[in-house]
Amino acid sequence: MEIKVFVTILLSTIFINNYVLARILGLCPFLGVSRKLGSAVGMGLAVIFVMTLTSFITYPIYKYVLVPYRVTYLTTIVFILVIAALVQLVEMVIEKTSPALYQALGIFLPLITTNCAVLGVAVLNLSSGFAEPNVSMGLLKSVTQGFGGGAGFTLALVIMAGIRERLELADIPENLKGVPITFITAGLLALAFYGFSGMKI
Amino acid sequence: MRHWKELVKGIWSRNPQLVLGLAFCPTLAVSTSVSNALWMTLAATFVLVCSNLLISSIRKIVPGHLRIPLFITIIASFVTVVDLLLNAYQPEVYRSLGIFIPLIVVNCIILGRAEEFAQKNGVFVSVLDGIGMGIGFGLTLTVLAAVREVLGANSLFGYTLIPGMEPATAMVMAPGAFFTLALMLWAMNAVNSRSKRK
Amino acid sequence: MMKDIIKPTVILTAIALICVFLLSHVEKLTVPVIAKRAKESREQALALVLPGFTVTGDEKRARVDGSDFTWWEGEKKVEDAIMKEKTVKGFAFLTKSPGYSGDIETMVGVDENGKVTGLTVISQTETPGLGARCVEVASRETLWDRFRGGIPVRDFADEARIPWFQNQFEGLDTKKKIGFMRRGVWNPNMRESLLEKNAISAITGATITSTAVIAGIEAGVARLAKARATQAPAAPGGAR
Repeated sequence: MEIKVFVTILLSTIFINNYVLARILGLCPFLGVSRKLGSAVGMGLAVIFVMTLTSFITYPIYKYVLVPYRVTYLTTIVFILVIAALVQLVEMVIEKTSPALYQALGIFLPLITTNCAVLGVAVLNLSSGFAEPNVSMGLLKSVTQGFGGGAGFTLALVIMAGIRERLELADIPENLKGVPITFITAGLLALAFYGFSGMKI
Repeated sequence: MRHWKELVKGIWSRNPQLVLGLAFCPTLAVSTSVSNALWMTLAATFVLVCSNLLISSIRKIVPGHLRIPLFITIIASFVTVVDLLLNAYQPEVYRSLGIFIPLIVVNCIILGRAEEFAQKNGVFVSVLDGIGMGIGFGLTLTVLAAVREVLGANSLFGYTLIPGMEPATAMVMAPGAFFTLALMLWAMNAVNSRSKRK
Repeated sequence: MMKDIIKPTVILTAIALICVFLLSHVEKLTVPVIAKRAKESREQALALVLPGFTVTGDEKRARVDGSDFTWWEGEKKVEDAIMKEKTVKGFAFLTKSPGYSGDIETMVGVDENGKVTGLTVISQTETPGLGARCVEVASRETLWDRFRGGIPVRDFADEARIPWFQNQFEGLDTKKKIGFMRRGVWNPNMRESLLEKNAISAITGATITSTAVIAGIEAGVARLAKARATQAPAAPGGAR
């Protein structure tokens, strides 16, 4: 029973309500880092990591600090500062422990703070009922949603990077080059992803 | 003259979305209806003007390396103010904008203007810059929303246009947002490259 | 070294304190307004879903299946076939179910026979133009009419301002399965035939939203029974 819930959350965040293509979150890195497949994978991994960790940390903060002390109006301010601090911390830890990984992810990490998918998942964890004070397993569900959101982001980013590498060679009207053609591609991808919305789960 | 320039540059020459390439997320996500677009413009412009005002007035006493966390704190505070006010006085709007109100914090225009403009310029000019950028942001957003609402929901400001006509619902969903913005960017590029050639 | 650590910390803490101080004042100003609006809209919703009923007592809460369940009880005096006055009990409850994007929260009223007395959508984040039409008012007014001023006299003039999707639920039987039809249209004349089939007319292209609302009713009715069972010993007068 419980396993089914997690599978549902994963499927819906990755495919049906894909953070980029259906919810339209995290477009800046989606446009900025989708030129090369290699960097898209790196960025994707970094986002999965930060989104999972963000869900893991913001949920207890909301439930055990903000709600009991009746300061839920500070949610936005606390979450964004937590995310900014977290990104900094992750950057420092990776730099000290694994220089190779830092080389691969390093330049993407600071960009993640302003990725609205990260703040988005923290806020969505509250509104989709996982963070209700009484729902059991809320933390695990939040973390699952964080991971799924990151994975969906990565999927969209990697597909996009694959297409854009091919588009480099295509003959596109001058004025469509760059961002406009990327948006048209994203629109087609989003249409394709709507096929998932009929999925019974 | 200079002041006038700061005010109108957001509309065309430095339009936040179409030229600077900022704030695509709220632009695409909130442009499902014109009234959503207008309220979003109001909310984001309020935050932008207030943060520009505050940041430009404290710009001389802020140590360089503390800029970013400070700016984020200030912006997040104003966003919370907007959040509370909308919740209290416009609950309908509050509900339909949903998570995109807290997400104003990560609207790149606001942090971008703080970094690029407000911390280097005077208070008055910064406020003008905020208003101008807000107008530019809102203009793109509203045009996009109007196209999508008319084609996708067969309505404008929530009123039906042609009774009984089945609208192209894909336009109010994500694909329509991507396509419409792509066409707007294309038109912008076309006009700019033509005027360059002349 | 010490100065490098202390100075930024002090500045950041000071700014954070100032921000929080100001925010707490804004919060103090807005919270009563928010609470008042919430109370008003709750009362309006109760009047909508339990028409003609007098709500007795405050809201009741119970833990059902690991989460909170909120409901209200009401009474209405009716005359039965032999002109004898009797009291009918009614219940209103809040229920949620996952729609296309996020939960759809509804308040549902049912009478003691399991008939739906009313339904209103409390909150939803569905796609505008599709699922969000679950709160649409079946207005025949177009933008052009608006410019010319006022609603024209057209068909269904009486029904011009009712939220059609929500109104369809009135009279459905929760003891049987509630179905839905993909008609895509609705007009007041369909009411009888839909009630016969115990079904609603779904929103075009938003089957998920329609089924979610039905699922919410079904889950809510089941939880209402459980919740009342737990409360029964505490309120002996409330037993059927």
